[in-house]
Amino acid sequence: MNQFLSRKSGLVALLISVFIASGVPAYAAQRTSGLWWMPDVASKSGEQIDQLTYFIYYLTGAVFVLTQVVYIYFLVKYRAKKGVRATYSHGDNRLELVWTAIPTAIFIGLWGYSNHMWWDVIHKEPPADTMEVAVTAYQFGFSFQYPGASGQLGRSDVKLLSADNVFGNDRSDPLAKEDFQSSVFELPVNKAVRIRLNSRDVIHGFYIPQFRIYQDAVPGRTINWVWFIPTKIGSYDLACSQLCGSGHYNMKAQIEVVSQEEFDKWYKQKIAAAASAPSANAPAQSK
Amino acid sequence: MAETIAHPVSEEVHAEHTHHPELSFFRKYIWSEDHKTIALQYLFTSLCFLLVGGLLAMGVRFQLAFPNAPVPFIGTLLPSWLVTSAGAIQPGGYNGLVTMHATVMVFLVIMPFLIGVFGNFLIPLEIGAPDMAFPFFNALSYWLFLVSGLVLLSSFFVPAGFPASGWTSYAPLSSHALYNGTQAGQSLWCVGLFINGLASIAGAMNYITTIINMRAPGMTMFRLPLPIWALFITALLLLLAVPVLSAAAAMLFCDLNFGTSFFSASNYGQPLLWQHLFWFFGHPEVYIMILPAMGLSSEILAVNSRKPIFGYKAMVYAMVAIGVLGFIVWGHHMFVSGMNILLSATFSFSTVLIAVPSAIKTFNWMGTVWKGSIRYTTAMCFALAFVSMFVIGGLSGIYMAATPVDLFIHHTYFIVAHIHYVLFGGSLFGVFGAIYFWFPKMFGRMMNETWGKVHFALAFIFFNCTFFPMHNLGLNGMMRRIADPPLYDHLRSSQPINVFVSVSAFCLGLSTIPFLINFFYSIFKGPKAPKNPWESNTLEWTVPSPPGHGNFETTPTVYHGPYEYSVPGMEKDYLPQNEHAPETARITAH
Repeated sequence: MNQFLSRKSGLVALLISVFIASGVPAYAAQRTSGLWWMPDVASKSGEQIDQLTYFIYYLTGAVFVLTQVVYIYFLVKYRAKKGVRATYSHGDNRLELVWTAIPTAIFIGLWGYSNHMWWDVIHKEPPADTMEVAVTAYQFGFSFQYPGASGQLGRSDVKLLSADNVFGNDRSDPLAKEDFQSSVFELPVNKAVRIRLNSRDVIHGFYIPQFRIYQDAVPGRTINWVWFIPTKIGSYDLACSQLCGSGHYNMKAQIEVVSQEEFDKWYKQKIAAAASAPSANAPAQSK
Repeated sequence: MAETIAHPVSEEVHAEHTHHPELSFFRKYIWSEDHKTIALQYLFTSLCFLLVGGLLAMGVRFQLAFPNAPVPFIGTLLPSWLVTSAGAIQPGGYNGLVTMHATVMVFLVIMPFLIGVFGNFLIPLEIGAPDMAFPFFNALSYWLFLVSGLVLLSSFFVPAGFPASGWTSYAPLSSHALYNGTQAGQSLWCVGLFINGLASIAGAMNYITTIINMRAPGMTMFRLPLPIWALFITALLLLLAVPVLSAAAAMLFCDLNFGTSFFSASNYGQPLLWQHLFWFFGHPEVYIMILPAMGLSSEILAVNSRKPIFGYKAMVYAMVAIGVLGFIVWGHHMFVSGMNILLSATFSFSTVLIAVPSAIKTFNWMGTVWKGSIRYTTAMCFALAFVSMFVIGGLSGIYMAATPVDLFIHHTYFIVAHIHYVLFGGSLFGVFGAIYFWFPKMFGRMMNETWGKVHFALAFIFFNCTFFPMHNLGLNGMMRRIADPPLYDHLRSSQPINVFVSVSAFCLGLSTIPFLINFFYSIFKGPKAPKNPWESNTLEWTVPSPPGHGNFETTPTVYHGPYEYSVPGMEKDYLPQNEHAPETARITAH
């Protein structure tokens, strides 16, 4: 048996080295930043979430290393040896108690920490100057609707959602008439934005890895509790992360996080354009 | 028949078995009602499905490493719903591959391996019964399972091919032909799972009845070997969870074909209802797929450590706790599904609780090898690896249980890594270990240990090379089920990891070859196996390899628990359950 152990270890070592030698260096050269780790965080709540991720990372890492070191030590130390018998033991109730109580305490503590953060990230009311943007997902893309000059989105209802009213706008609401649409998700940096999320057909995902945010868009439901504060200027992909059909692999939209001035410029242009062109919400179009 | 078999002690039964008339070929190999033959039928069938599921995974990994490159050798032979005219996998076809890989592996490989093969083979043999309580239902269960597999795979040949809405088949994508474009395939998926559910229910009811009613004299519940406890709890979970999936599949079939709207957003339907029904089944299902592997590995660990299981009762209670808690954690698949966010906190709490019994089991496995006298057989290597891989799979689960972190990693490759550490590194390693361990009893011959170790080493290394980097891909923000990751800015730089993972996956696929050769060669040419090659205590090792029809010449009487190894005051270091302990032996109760 022991003979075998050494032969096996040799084989394992050989295979590992061959594998590493053949595979990794070939790609190491192409490696750019962030290859093995999370993309740089770009939202307020994302920064909080990363703290928790790191906490769990160190916790589970420590548990893993500790258990495996002990385990492997046992496996080497207690391998079968001639003339040495195993120790006869059915266990130890005190030990059972210890390794039931400690994990329970740790897990409940962790739940307390993470649930507190969940409350903070999801339940808390956003600041008063939060901009609301309606987002509708469809096979296979996203469209966005911004509030008009009043700064407030008009009323909408999922029951009104249809092919020619993709945001389910309530066209009797004057606010809805001045809303304008965009194919790019343009956001001012450091300003809270809340989304009003709908889906026109199947369930889609609203996923921005850099913001550490994910939410399903469910047909027949409006989800209005997701909000975030982008903290870094740049372009990002809004990705669909819920299998939604044959075009799922490429269902995305462009997010542009820009400075407040740049955003204001874009916003004014958009409002002007919406005023001069018949908007999607103009009464003429609604039946 | 069932009536007589339910009383194994009665003399007539044994008279009947010893003078059993020679069975026809059909009754012996096709419609056999002998639990051992049925177990082997399950074994060979699941092996075939394992190859199918593995090949589908190779297709998935090929596309992810080399998006839009023609599939080598067979590309142009594949149907047009799957590949372009140049032979490259299409995005829609890719969704089909993903869907069928998971469906096949869950319903046609892991479940039948653990429950069909080892449930059937071990339950009567380890409790000292001549057969199952309902041999007819047992045979029926196997044939229903085979039909369900063929129905699922026949979707390859229908217009638009494989169902393509994921193994979770979220409605309304799955419930509207207009949205999924694979009405025929998706319908077959519903029918296949419905039939598969019938097979599971028939099997579960059989197992429960057999374990409760047909234990040999002296075989109290707390003298049951751990695989039997695990299978008992698993059977209860099956019986309670599977009907929910069957009902949901039937509703989905009606939505898809008859215009009902259980799961539509319009007409008062509710898309989230599907997820609640699916995961009410789906989470117990996760434990259905791991509990038996835990039981089998526990047995292998104790035998090869020559030590009693550390904390036998703690192990049993932990499995009971997993079984109960398993029914109230389903919502952790739905933290960000749009259900009420208060529910997320609740499900997050029950989820952290269910981690406790898993931790208890891990510590007890470590306690079992502690101060043992470990024999490194191939079966033992797999069982030992099972523990470590399960630890990784368990620890990665903590990330998801923390709701805010789930916001980031939900539906990314982190989850894919997690599930494969549990289902491949856990369940399938458990299955491999169990095959090496019980092969002598199944076929009366030994497998080759050297080639077994080669298989183990390759599987272990390439498994980790394949699935560990998926954690990193998930942290990169790589979504599940996307056919062409470099289309996304944030994923372009991690494409080399995808290539590395795929190359490892191909090697992992190839590592099955030494196993298959060893397996089939040993069936015919392996050295003859003695009754008890591993010097094990449980009852199956007290009868010839392979056991005859009816299993036991006379009904065994059980005198002690299954894990009396290295008892002080005894010459040999094991004590079969049906053997009186010598006067000098100092047995302590567990």
